[in-house]
Amino acid sequence: MHRLIALACALGVALAGLALAQEAAPVYGGSVTVAIVADPPGWDPSASTSQEIPRVVYHNVFEGLVRFDADGEIVPALATDWQVSDDGLQWTFTLRSGVMFHDGSAFTVDDVIAKFERAMDPDSGHTNPGYYAAIESVESAMDGTAVVFTLERPSRSLLYNLARPDSIIYPAGTHETQRTQPIGTGPFRFARYVEGSEVRLERFEDYHQDGLPYLDEVVYRIISDPNTRFAALQAGDIDIAALAPEQYQLAVANPDLEATVGTATAEITMALNNEREPLSDVRVRQAITHAIDKDAIVQGAMFGLGTVIGSHMTPAEAYYVDLTDTYPYDPERARELLAEAGYPDGFTVDFELPEPYANERRSGEVVAQYLRDVGIDVNLSVVEWGTWIERIFLGGDYDMTIIGHSEPRDINVYGNPGYYYRYDNPRVRELLEEAETAPTAEAETAAYQEIARIIAEDAVNVWLFSAPFIVGTQNDVHGFWVNQPTPNYNMVEVFRAP
Amino acid sequence: MLGYLTRRFLTALVSVVLASLLVFSALLLVPGDPAVVILGMNAHPEALAALRTRLGLDVPPAQRYVQWLAGVVRGDWGESLQFGRPVAALIWVRLGVSVPLALGAATIACLIALPLGIWAALRRGSATDPIVILASQLGAAIPSFWLGLLLILFFAVELRWLPAGGFPGWDRSPIDSIRALILPILALGLGQAAVMTRMTRAAMLDVLGQDYVRTARAKGLPQRSVIYKHALRNALVTIVTILGLSLTNVFIGSIVIEQVFALPGLGRMALTAIGNRDFPLLQGAILVYASTIVMLSFLVDASYGLLDPRIRYG
Repeated sequence: MHRLIALACALGVALAGLALAQEAAPVYGGSVTVAIVADPPGWDPSASTSQEIPRVVYHNVFEGLVRFDADGEIVPALATDWQVSDDGLQWTFTLRSGVMFHDGSAFTVDDVIAKFERAMDPDSGHTNPGYYAAIESVESAMDGTAVVFTLERPSRSLLYNLARPDSIIYPAGTHETQRTQPIGTGPFRFARYVEGSEVRLERFEDYHQDGLPYLDEVVYRIISDPNTRFAALQAGDIDIAALAPEQYQLAVANPDLEATVGTATAEITMALNNEREPLSDVRVRQAITHAIDKDAIVQGAMFGLGTVIGSHMTPAEAYYVDLTDTYPYDPERARELLAEAGYPDGFTVDFELPEPYANERRSGEVVAQYLRDVGIDVNLSVVEWGTWIERIFLGGDYDMTIIGHSEPRDINVYGNPGYYYRYDNPRVRELLEEAETAPTAEAETAAYQEIARIIAEDAVNVWLFSAPFIVGTQNDVHGFWVNQPTPNYNMVEVFRAP
Repeated sequence: MLGYLTRRFLTALVSVVLASLLVFSALLLVPGDPAVVILGMNAHPEALAALRTRLGLDVPPAQRYVQWLAGVVRGDWGESLQFGRPVAALIWVRLGVSVPLALGAATIACLIALPLGIWAALRRGSATDPIVILASQLGAAIPSFWLGLLLILFFAVELRWLPAGGFPGWDRSPIDSIRALILPILALGLGQAAVMTRMTRAAMLDVLGQDYVRTARAKGLPQRSVIYKHALRNALVTIVTILGLSLTNVFIGSIVIEQVFALPGLGRMALTAIGNRDFPLLQGAILVYASTIVMLSFLVDASYGLLDPRIRYG
């Protein structure tokens, strides 16, 4: 009898497994509609650092030599494999053969060379020339079936930078038109763009990876209002939408929808102007950090969806080290530090929040209350986005603000004294150099973690929390990235199946 | 008459130019650089400088404005900084959403407000009159974006009869495009109807209290004839004024409604253009808005003479 039950159980498990496997079996064809929040400034990720661009085109339309996968690992794309010389100065990438661009032309080594010669030239208008600063030359090798990068110095970040959206490759000489007519090697062709309304991608029949993509069509619909976005998802008009924290429970309760909370690389950062009195005093900055209960902010502003962080790194990143205990919530200690710094009665400070970002605005309102509790008089105001970029971000003319830094691996900004934090620490610059030229991965990690520790101890900013990637999808849509190791609404393995 | 209309037209033209100049100057006063918006936050200074030159932003503002104005006179509205496409073409596509939306909303408003307002005026003091007044007050007090969200929740999310937002485009699917406009038209038109009902009722009451209406009634004319031949005809001057105002209102109100329903209309385009400091695109949109409003009030003025022969243009 027992045996029979065991057998029945085993059968049950096997059947359940089969059912699961069936649910996950990809189906070809169909169309999926995804909400995006705004028209990006063009479609070329190497012409603008706007994160809205790669969200749509990274991997879907454009590929580089390598790319990030759903777990943030670097995997082959237009290169099939690569070797590094022992001194770390020669990187040889074997190019994938038989790859076609969407315009029907063949992908060749000349496209790679043209791409990186532009990328290395600071006058070309290419984004982030710093990513390619270590490269001395890019040359064809093995009859054009490979490409060799010769470096001036070893570069730990080279491969990572080659996987970034900036490093996508398009046909040589087409950079002028890519902004409006993107042509890449990705599994989807750019088919139609109606400004302010939608972007349509169509399946590219000649994609180099057999069997992908599953969908015939992907529509990105531009819906800027979060309520409308969620309503459109609930109504079944769209299939995938990023959700605001307050919408998550509603999505979970909706039988038609699947809701997930994944990791992303955005640090919601309360930036302090380290150059301005009294924020230039490290004790004042420490006091500010002590004054704020980050857990309460995650509860109050994010409905509990967020991870408290203690430095400019999220748990989703490889070098993460937990520094949340550096200056824990302790209003008493905050008052002491303020008194030590010569502000026993507090001081007055401007706190400006960016208008388009609800999480930041809400967090700022809670933060202001905590600061008032320790005697800091906060002038809270909301600034329009264009003004925020120009005056605060580029001009450094501010006391305090809050913004999410969504780029992955961007701790290097702490080596730039001109950055809007106005933080100048030669030791951080040395460590960045050390990390970049480290002989081993462990040494590199150690250097980055040391930077994270130094800036945390200096209380350069208050890193409030890492914002999760909350997404709602229709039940019949599968294969969408749960996490965002890089900003990307990746549709390559998405399919519809009941 | 002709002299008046010519003068009126010239004033209208000056108003439009002034409006565009005002917006242009206002944008110069606030910080914000279109090149930064296009290239992104971490843009390289050299790339920024190159883009500014390419976009013509290194030219002094006064010269830029005159160049733009001269272009408009020649029919060249310039190119959008963000989209890199001709402004006129972008606006033309957007008008395909905003004009049907505004006309639809104004039609709904008139269809509800005129009969209801007249009906309420005729039943002044009866039990139904306060109901109409209450309903119209409520309607006028409800913000259109909130009504829009309610309509979305009921007709799109609950019943799934109509889309929650977005616009497929006339070329792709005319029927779905019409379906996409129904809820926005209602959201915009119902609030307007409430305002117009009250104004129509007041105008009708005003006329019904006039001596000539009493005379008409006294000489035994049937009610129908009193209302349509005597009262309504005279109330029309006010009603046409209301109509002109309401068209202006729905055209402006569509900016909010387009945002709520994610419609690619002119208003949403203008808002994005402000955020992106896309000067040529915004200038073009403002030109269209200003011309429309000025033209509407011009048409209303011109129609007075036709409706009421007592009105003479000096």
